[in-house]
Amino acid sequence: MTGSRSSSGVRIRQGFFSRTLPFWLLLPTLIVLAAVQFYPAFYSIFLSTQEFQAGNMKYVGLRNYERVFSTSTFSDSLFITFAFLAGYATLTLVSSFVVALFLNRKLRLSSLYLTVIFIPWVLSDVIVGLVFRLFVVPDYGLLSSFFADPALFGPPNGVSILTTPPPPQVVPGIPLPPAPALIYLIFASAWKAVPFTTVLILAALQTVPREILESASIDGASAFNSFRFITFPLVLPTMVVALFNLTLGGVNGVGMVFSLTNGGPGTATEVLSFLLYTIGFGRLEFGRAAALSVFMAVINLALILFTLRLSRTGRA
Amino acid sequence: MQVTGTSGRPAPLPRSARYYRVRKVLQPWFYNSALIFICVLMLLPVLGTLNISFRRQVDVQRKPPVLFPCDTPERSFDIRACRFVLEGYERIIGPKPNPNALFGVELAGRMISTYLPNTLLYALGASVIVTTLAGMAGYAFSRYHFRLRRTLMVAILAITGIPLLTNLIALYQMGVTLRKAFPGYEERIFLIFVYVGFFLPFSIWIVKSFFDTIPRELEEASFIDGCTPFESLWRIVTPLATPGLASAFLLSFVGVWNEFIAGYLLVSKNTLKTAMFGLYDFIGQFVIGYQVLAAACILIALPVVILFLFTRQVFFRAMVEGALKG
Repeated sequence: MTGSRSSSGVRIRQGFFSRTLPFWLLLPTLIVLAAVQFYPAFYSIFLSTQEFQAGNMKYVGLRNYERVFSTSTFSDSLFITFAFLAGYATLTLVSSFVVALFLNRKLRLSSLYLTVIFIPWVLSDVIVGLVFRLFVVPDYGLLSSFFADPALFGPPNGVSILTTPPPPQVVPGIPLPPAPALIYLIFASAWKAVPFTTVLILAALQTVPREILESASIDGASAFNSFRFITFPLVLPTMVVALFNLTLGGVNGVGMVFSLTNGGPGTATEVLSFLLYTIGFGRLEFGRAAALSVFMAVINLALILFTLRLSRTGRA
Repeated sequence: MQVTGTSGRPAPLPRSARYYRVRKVLQPWFYNSALIFICVLMLLPVLGTLNISFRRQVDVQRKPPVLFPCDTPERSFDIRACRFVLEGYERIIGPKPNPNALFGVELAGRMISTYLPNTLLYALGASVIVTTLAGMAGYAFSRYHFRLRRTLMVAILAITGIPLLTNLIALYQMGVTLRKAFPGYEERIFLIFVYVGFFLPFSIWIVKSFFDTIPRELEEASFIDGCTPFESLWRIVTPLATPGLASAFLLSFVGVWNEFIAGYLLVSKNTLKTAMFGLYDFIGQFVIGYQVLAAACILIALPVVILFLFTRQVFFRAMVEGALKG
């Protein structure tokens, strides 16, 4: 790392410190990232091969992986996570797109609307979960009676949407259709995610060239057709980036599950991230939790590399 | 006259001038009312929480619940009979008369005296360090071509994909080991560095993209005038990059403020835990004091919401830069 030239080729003064400036600038960052990101990542892999017994560690090879992946808790949790992600991403993308289309007009108050719509984004997961929980607490919640209506939400237990057990499984062994609590969790998560996605889509909408839309309307294209054939294809790459951002956030978000449902009723809202917590800190099985976290890190890395690939090609 | 579009299909008949005049008046109305509706919808949970937070204990525990605690025996809604009180906030803040304290009042509530100051300390500490390091690294990536530059940049970008959550087991074990090894081990410093490592990669990318927009000619001029690279960085580039650094600072600050799981698990002493932990703890403590929980939510969220309202342009710009240009 001896960059002695600035990139456009002008010679700069040549002290030792100046010649190696990029190295010194990067050193603290590299140290911090090595200590807090790289080392723990590899340490997780090490821990995942260990069994914790009375404060001692014992090498057990891949047994932890075997034990985690073979349990029905894990497969249930996987299905719950998929159901959650599917609902969350679809709901967020569709509603964000609608909001962004409305915001993409030159109105005097546009920036005010954008600011108001953006407020949920600055709130913490834990707060959002707790707020949505307050509305459906048994008996006293403002929305409790609405969600306890048997006509709307199947045969509930009449207490709260958060305690209503999931409907009978269509395919035995697969926890679908999801419990009402999971659907409520999806709505709460989407409420928090809509602002960010809206801003992304809005930014993309504003890059659609006006001239093309105008020439299309002169050529007699209907509003729907110019949306279908011009606006939508141009915004699609951003939608895909937003989709992956949402998936990443959804896989790793755990605060809202904590404060809204705490995994319940039963294990009906135990998404993978919450399962990781339960295994690691609820049951103190660190080896198995490490195995699960290695699995989740791999999923995350795959997702982010895929997103990068996409956003690169989208730009070129 | 029949106008034909390029597609060969006949274009819709030209409409009357009156149609366009009416549309020009009605369209903004339509969009404005739709957006107002959306805004109200987005704010409903917030308004609902405010509504709950100002109630009395008896009004929180009404069966069936009332939309507003404004009913009288005669009428279901009477604006003069509204019973909104500050009880929930008082129970969170816990003001106690104390002649030695500032203004003669001591704020004894755990949230105000312990958890919020902790959160503020972690958020400020972590975001100051993140901003400094991201500024240095972003500058190096933006201005110099050195060996391994691309590799390092891709590696840092890939790290953004490793969430705090999956490193948590390892970080927790590291904390346990460090505590055993060093008697003077400070949990707070460990937590701040975990936050720094977590928010740094993304910030580097934001700051780098801001540095990229600053013309190099300015620095070259300063080199010719005799600046060392370091002087040029400090005197010329840093002031110009302030918006980028500010957005890195704000995003990390809000991120740490709102973070829950690391602050909960990596710190063992209750007196060092964060506001989000305090809130989670309250769920068990105030089992039916819903107005207290609502007030706590409002109090903890208020600082970052105010911060956001004053700096929203920085947020929007950083977000679009970060997410689309990555």
